[in-house]
Amino acid sequence: MPFLFAPLQYEFMQRGMLAAILVGIVCAVVGTYMVLRGMAFFGDALAHTILPGIALGYLVNGGAREPLFWWSLGTSILAALGIGAISKNSQIKEDTAIGIIFAGMFALGIALISTVRSYAVDLSHFLFGDVLSVSTSSLWLILIFGGIVLLTIFAFYKEFTTLSFDPVLAATLRLPVGLLNNLLLTLIAVTVAVSLQTVGVALMVAMLVTPAATAYLLTNRLSHMMVLGAVLASLSGIIGLYLSFYLSIASGAAIVVTATAFFLIAFGWKRITQK
Amino acid sequence: MKIWKYPIMHRQIIIWTALALLLTACAGNPASDSGTTAPVVLASTTFLADITRHVAGDRVKVESLLPIGTDPHSYQPTPQDVTKIAESKLLIINGSDYEHFLGPLLENAGGEREVIAVSAGLHPREDAGAEHGVDPHLWLDPNNVITYVETIREALTHFDPEGTAEYQVNAETYTAELKALDAWILEQVNQIPAERRLLVTNHEAFGYFAERYGFTVVGTVIESFSSDASPSAQQLAALIDQVKSSGAPAIFLDEVENPALAQQIADEAGVSVVTDLHLESLTDGAPSGTYIDMMKHNVTQIVNALK
Amino acid sequence: MYPNTQHQANQPILDVSHLTVRYNGHAALQDITFHLHEGERVAIVGPNGAGKSTLIKVVAGVLQPQSGEVNIFGSRPGKHVCIGYIPQRNQVDWAFPVSVADVVMMGRSAKLGPLNWPHKKDWEVVNHALETVELSNLASRQISQLSGGQQQRMFIARALAQEAELMLMDEPLTGLDAPSQEGLLNVLDRLKTEKVTVMVATHDLDQAASHFGRIMLLNHRLVALGQPNEVLHTDNLLQAYGGRMRVDSQGAMLVDDCCPPEE
Repeated sequence: MPFLFAPLQYEFMQRGMLAAILVGIVCAVVGTYMVLRGMAFFGDALAHTILPGIALGYLVNGGAREPLFWWSLGTSILAALGIGAISKNSQIKEDTAIGIIFAGMFALGIALISTVRSYAVDLSHFLFGDVLSVSTSSLWLILIFGGIVLLTIFAFYKEFTTLSFDPVLAATLRLPVGLLNNLLLTLIAVTVAVSLQTVGVALMVAMLVTPAATAYLLTNRLSHMMVLGAVLASLSGIIGLYLSFYLSIASGAAIVVTATAFFLIAFGWKRITQK
Repeated sequence: MKIWKYPIMHRQIIIWTALALLLTACAGNPASDSGTTAPVVLASTTFLADITRHVAGDRVKVESLLPIGTDPHSYQPTPQDVTKIAESKLLIINGSDYEHFLGPLLENAGGEREVIAVSAGLHPREDAGAEHGVDPHLWLDPNNVITYVETIREALTHFDPEGTAEYQVNAETYTAELKALDAWILEQVNQIPAERRLLVTNHEAFGYFAERYGFTVVGTVIESFSSDASPSAQQLAALIDQVKSSGAPAIFLDEVENPALAQQIADEAGVSVVTDLHLESLTDGAPSGTYIDMMKHNVTQIVNALK
Repeated sequence: MYPNTQHQANQPILDVSHLTVRYNGHAALQDITFHLHEGERVAIVGPNGAGKSTLIKVVAGVLQPQSGEVNIFGSRPGKHVCIGYIPQRNQVDWAFPVSVADVVMMGRSAKLGPLNWPHKKDWEVVNHALETVELSNLASRQISQLSGGQQQRMFIARALAQEAELMLMDEPLTGLDAPSQEGLLNVLDRLKTEKVTVMVATHDLDQAASHFGRIMLLNHRLVALGQPNEVLHTDNLLQAYGGRMRVDSQGAMLVDDCCPPEE
């Protein structure tokens, strides 16, 4: 099976695969709740909202790249909690509130970047992400923060599930609903920040939603949905990278196309077997 | 302000005063201070502006359209840039298809000016990267810049005939400096053993430099590093193999490009990466504040990495 | 593990005093006062929009009143975890990937607290609850596979697993066919032995009269509260249902623009 091993002689491929798998797992687990609660748009918006934070971090640190992860983490958490607060407290529908903040922040980011025209090219790489340029230190960050997210979900699994299924029950059980909601928003924010450099802004929502949605079609149990989503995401990452290697197509796009193909297959299969 | 309530005489005073203020406001705000300061010559890039300044001396004011640190490929013109072009009477560009962005800008600016392409008269190489058609990076060989200087001198003389003598003197002085630069580079480059004179860069820019000073350009990663493309794993792997098998000791990058990917290649292929070459723009002060400093800086970086 | 108030002795299980709730400027509930004793079974009836759901939500502690007091065993609902709330069926996401047993186990979340997974005792409680409502054989089915009546029974089981002492049900009989309704009411009867206090909002006056100890007639105000034969006479009904009633020599006919039966 030389064609399976040939790409793996390259360290960048090994790191890339590991990154794609880790990111895929974390996104799918968190994405399970997002699919069930209809939060896909929120996830997309959050990814875009990080841009001004990154731009600021870039300007403040004189073009250094390492601090950018922490800037995107901080911005992401603030943005998530902010969107959560706004959509709860105003007469504007949640969907509209998210749209307004998303577009406004993204434009702010572009405005900030345009003031320093020579950095524009470099930042666009951060936006589009590149799983192929993941360094060892990035891999550690993904592992650590991804691990924190997964452990937290494991610890609060039944609370999050109860809250997602029946918020009124959660309230009558006197679960700390506000706290739990904010915790979930924070976990989503951390996931987005950790995954952004690997997947990029444009494809972030696909990693969060597509494998989880595919799993949703194929299983009846929440825990199975998470596991299956994680498996599908990892497979998409691996296959996508092989496609990028052998067919010479952009890696991020290859991963998302693979994940989407899985979804379409599951969708089609379900329709056929339901008749 | 209920003007109609005031007696007629007061009304007249108010109205005429207002009109007068309005007229002076309009008249007193010309787009340019023509006639009181030196005429502006515009160069497309910072290094061209520097070269032109050395020929022009104090007789004309030379400005650069592109700001420091900007790559013409990712250049986004602002309204001020259109104004700058509109006000200029003499525009110095590299030519050979380097300034892609200029066409629409010139149309927008309107008006008339002399546009001088300083690489005219030279024989450009074909561009292997197929990005420009021909390779416009002639200025990386100082001998080409000597021809640039001559072209600029002619243009300035035509533009401002009173300065003919001064331009001649300046041109000769600067040409001597360029020749000295050429000799210095040859001396520096000789420190690198022949088999290590290999250039892997992110830009098909080194053609003329390589030809003049005996380097081989091994491979470029322009596809990977250009701002619009995402490299595929296959391209990246191919490049790593290429760098490894070439025996090149280092890869060189223009400052504005993406260092993360370059570092990846460097780590895997076991070479060092130099990310602060200045190929298309000067810097603000040291180390590449002028064209000659820029060349010296680049050569120093290259020699240190390869010798 | 989550906050839980101790019940005060000698207090009625539910004591409502001058309760007023406003939505968008008009009063959903106006000056309601009553109390319930442990083990009682009360049906709340009234026309659409009378405030039945609102009253239930306030008692459950998920809605705050503008004025008045609600006390459960002497303290505010917000602190108690002994209240079982069974929602209207159309407010539930039936496509959620959980099984019947999963949903019933959710009722134990408060008892378990964070970082804890269900122990053997919890499964025993859940199984007992499922037996009480006769859903044991459907425990591992995904919830969309249940019929309307089974769905309601599942929520009752959840409240039992929660060890709820006060059970609040919002229109559980709506949209069920007659056999399912009977089945549900039988389960509610069985709850008498569990000493659960039950408050049920419903549209069906006959069923309310035959299965419940007391009936509360509600139309933004408390029209009447008492035993069925005391409460269900024409004056009261006119006051509660107003224009939705026709009275003639043979009795009264109620025309209510409520709920068509489900498919």
